[in-house]
Amino acid sequence: MNNKSSNEEKKAVSRRSFLKGAGVTTASTVAMSAGLLSFKAPETAPKRPPVLGPGDTEVRLEVNGQQESVWVEPRTTLAEALRDHLHLTGTKVVCDRGSCSACTVWLNDKPVCSCMTLAVDAEGSKVTTVEGLADGDTLHPVQEAFIEYDAAMCGYCTPGMVMSCAGLLKRNANPNLDDVKAATSGNLCRCGTYPKVFEATLAAAKKM
Amino acid sequence: MKNIDSKGHVTGKSIYLDDIPTIQGTLYGVVFGSPVAHGHIDAVDYSKALAMPGVIRIITHKDIPGENQIGGIIPDEPLFATNEVHFQGQPIALIIAESDHLASEARKCIELKISEKEIIVDPRVAQQKGELIQPPRTFALGDTEKAWAKCVHVFQGKADTNGQEHLYIETQGAYAVPMENGNIRISSSTQGPTAVQRTTAWVLGVGMHKIEVDVVRLGGGFGGKEDQATPWAVMAALGAQLLNKPIKVVLNRMDDMRMTGKRHPYSSDYKIGLSEDLKIIAYEATFFQNAGAAADLSPAVMERTLFHATNAYFVPNVQVTAYSCKTNLPPNTAFRGFGGPQGMFVIESALAHAAHELNVPTYVLQKKNLLKNGDEFPYGQIAADVGLQHIWSDMESKFDIQAVEKRIRAFNANHSDQKKGFSLMPVTFGISFTKTPMNQARALVHIYSDGSVGVSTGAVEMGQGVNTKMLQIAAQMFSLDPERVKLESTNTTRVANTSPSAASATSDLNGKALQKACNALLERLKQSAADHFGVSPGDIELKNEQVYSQGKATSMSWNQLVDMAFLQRICLTENGHYATPIINFDKTKEKGHPFAYHVHGLALTEVSIDCIRGVYEFDAVKIVHDFGKTMNPSVDIGQIEGGLVQGIGWMTMEELNYDNQGRLRSNSLSAYKIPDIYSVPKEVLIEALETDGNDMAILKSKAVGEPPLMYGIGAYFAIENAIRAFNPSFISTFDAPFTHEKVLLALYNHYGILENSKTGIRSSLSGNADVRIAQ
Ligand code: FES
Ligand code: FES
Repeated sequence: MNNKSSNEEKKAVSRRSFLKGAGVTTASTVAMSAGLLSFKAPETAPKRPPVLGPGDTEVRLEVNGQQESVWVEPRTTLAEALRDHLHLTGTKVVCDRGSCSACTVWLNDKPVCSCMTLAVDAEGSKVTTVEGLADGDTLHPVQEAFIEYDAAMCGYCTPGMVMSCAGLLKRNANPNLDDVKAATSGNLCRCGTYPKVFEATLAAAKKM
Repeated sequence: MKNIDSKGHVTGKSIYLDDIPTIQGTLYGVVFGSPVAHGHIDAVDYSKALAMPGVIRIITHKDIPGENQIGGIIPDEPLFATNEVHFQGQPIALIIAESDHLASEARKCIELKISEKEIIVDPRVAQQKGELIQPPRTFALGDTEKAWAKCVHVFQGKADTNGQEHLYIETQGAYAVPMENGNIRISSSTQGPTAVQRTTAWVLGVGMHKIEVDVVRLGGGFGGKEDQATPWAVMAALGAQLLNKPIKVVLNRMDDMRMTGKRHPYSSDYKIGLSEDLKIIAYEATFFQNAGAAADLSPAVMERTLFHATNAYFVPNVQVTAYSCKTNLPPNTAFRGFGGPQGMFVIESALAHAAHELNVPTYVLQKKNLLKNGDEFPYGQIAADVGLQHIWSDMESKFDIQAVEKRIRAFNANHSDQKKGFSLMPVTFGISFTKTPMNQARALVHIYSDGSVGVSTGAVEMGQGVNTKMLQIAAQMFSLDPERVKLESTNTTRVANTSPSAASATSDLNGKALQKACNALLERLKQSAADHFGVSPGDIELKNEQVYSQGKATSMSWNQLVDMAFLQRICLTENGHYATPIINFDKTKEKGHPFAYHVHGLALTEVSIDCIRGVYEFDAVKIVHDFGKTMNPSVDIGQIEGGLVQGIGWMTMEELNYDNQGRLRSNSLSAYKIPDIYSVPKEVLIEALETDGNDMAILKSKAVGEPPLMYGIGAYFAIENAIRAFNPSFISTFDAPFTHEKVLLALYNHYGILENSKTGIRSSLSGNADVRIAQ
């Protein structure tokens, strides 16, 4: 929704230097409290993770085979990072609450709701979006089958649906109807393409 | 032909409103809506919100240069509330900030003082208090007063249907960009580009020519973006005008659910009279439509309820009256079926009631009373091209109703905790906008000098496949490779004064306009070829991009013909205009011929209920449908499956829940359930009625958008049928949706305080939103 203008990008860069400074402060805070703790229990001093935010923080991801780095607020979801920062708008945000699976992407090859995943939690991960599913000009068999069986109507749920179905075929090359239903049980389609999604996914499995 | 957008959809490359690359400097608008359903605004303090970083401006009614009015049929709805608010979520202001996060944060800091007023949520209460959107209307045929004396059996009761959230998967949104000379270009997710243009011009105080509206595609509309896409577009445009910056307004899901209207809830009374041989002699109904706080499209929706009050049946004496009742809910609006389903549910309830009391299967009554050619509808049109008898016998021969009944009886006899049930649901649905002037469309076709073709129409693609059908028409008529035809976005500067994409009529109207444009171009091209070959234009044919003369292929290709015509300075652009002939309607008499034709069909629904838990599954829905001659079976079957699922959702699991403060409780996807992959019937079989098609339909391919939704009504009555197999003393409440919870209570007669008599079946639950069973 909120596309970053280059102005904001600049701001993000300046925040980076701020964060570097802030990092030092944070570290010394940790050291101080660790010192206090060490007074009581020297061996078990916990190492707290560095505090992120409130400003932007860097997140490095491998998105569709490309190394990417984005500067986002810690509250930014993976869906927002993909859409607003990397301009990969194929991933759709529909409920923003984990209730519809429209935002499904693969995180380290497993389907997740990108609206329920913080971008910072995906740091260092491999992300595959619907834009990265095809192998160059060769569509993924699920994509082919969705076209063949007219399994998209308005198309808005389709990227999530395709990622769920292709995700299923990745872990189960020979699924039955119940497997397809289980894999897409979270994907809502208001146009009612479900019967065609079944057909398309089963057909794609046969071709793979 | 496959859906032309599929490849874009499956690769994530299709562009929807929120995917349009934003221009640098774009600002974001978030709507501040009323927290109460009815009240007087005493004071609003925006100072804290305005002081927040990144907040640019807050726009209210005071900033409107033109009219603060967005009502389409009746001017009764301000864009921004002035002194009064009439529903929760009613827009009061638009907060514009550098990001939507910042605008949403600022929204929390607005301080509002409101004196609350009495809240009405029940349409019957509104009617009693005289709170009506417009005077009631009545359709009548014969004389019911006299007819009652002739009836051997008379039954009356009450039937209610709840509303339905559209839940288009893409929420409402618009993006307005200021252009030079005070012009504004709006990208909008709307079914009605002209409505957006007209209303924006009105509010901004400029001519329509200053406002360009462009629509690429919608992530679903279902009627919810026919009128209610307008306010957000107008707000964005107003912001763009005031700040000279691009403004984007995209509602988040909860705002969308809270602020927009739904399918109208109805509460209705019926009275039905039958003869000894079970023919319907008389039918009366009174419909109380819950219109919400402003007219929106309610008067037109109410009218269609009256048009479809007798569904697929012939009734010689009819009197049906509808009240559009003003309540403190968001203004309810168009939704696939447009009031028709609500009217049909009532007569189906009346028939189910009668059948139960008379101890005959409902389908016996349904079959006996089916409409035939030559019968008169209560609105004066004479039924033609009906085929319902044919459809019924197709159903019997292909799906064997008696065998299904026998199988279900045998199953029920052998299972005590599981019961099956079935129902039949005939549908007759009129095609055309019931407001006659709206039945017109235009299409603009360019043949470029290289032989490729560009097509613009007034049709909006929202998943119904209209663009595919348009491209198919142009490619077929020119006998061109579809790759050489491009469907342009729907844009008010190319095709003006359009009707919204609605009423299932989009393909018919725009397709016929497109045919006219293509025909005119073909005529000119053929003349040019005929002159060249020294034959008459009737001798020329175009096949597979080749010119044929007197049945033989010539050496001239389509490209060469186009090139030659261009050099001869023949016009290669055409604008086709189509206005549906014959149709008319006289509102003073409530009689006429409002529909170009009707679509008919029949659905057989089978359900299984788990009688311990009240949950159910649909085993099968078998449909015989009158497609005419379908021009695109894949698209049309998709429409049937999708419409059916939506109809089943409305009748079963989708429970819209407003409390008595007018607050939407089912305000997110976790509180409002739509059919998921497990809710679709296990088997959907669709048989096409063999027919010659109807010339009023595009390529004789009948409209298919809305009618299938009403097959879903059968789900309600199939559930009733199964409940009765478990609990013979079950008393119908005719109160949709039949949620799992309600089914459980009905299985054990715990469903509210029920009263039954020969003359009435009532539920204490209906019409009182706050005692509905919570999900
Ligand atoms: S948008 Fe992520 S689950 Fe709905
Ligand atoms: S295709 Fe429209 S929501 Fe699934």
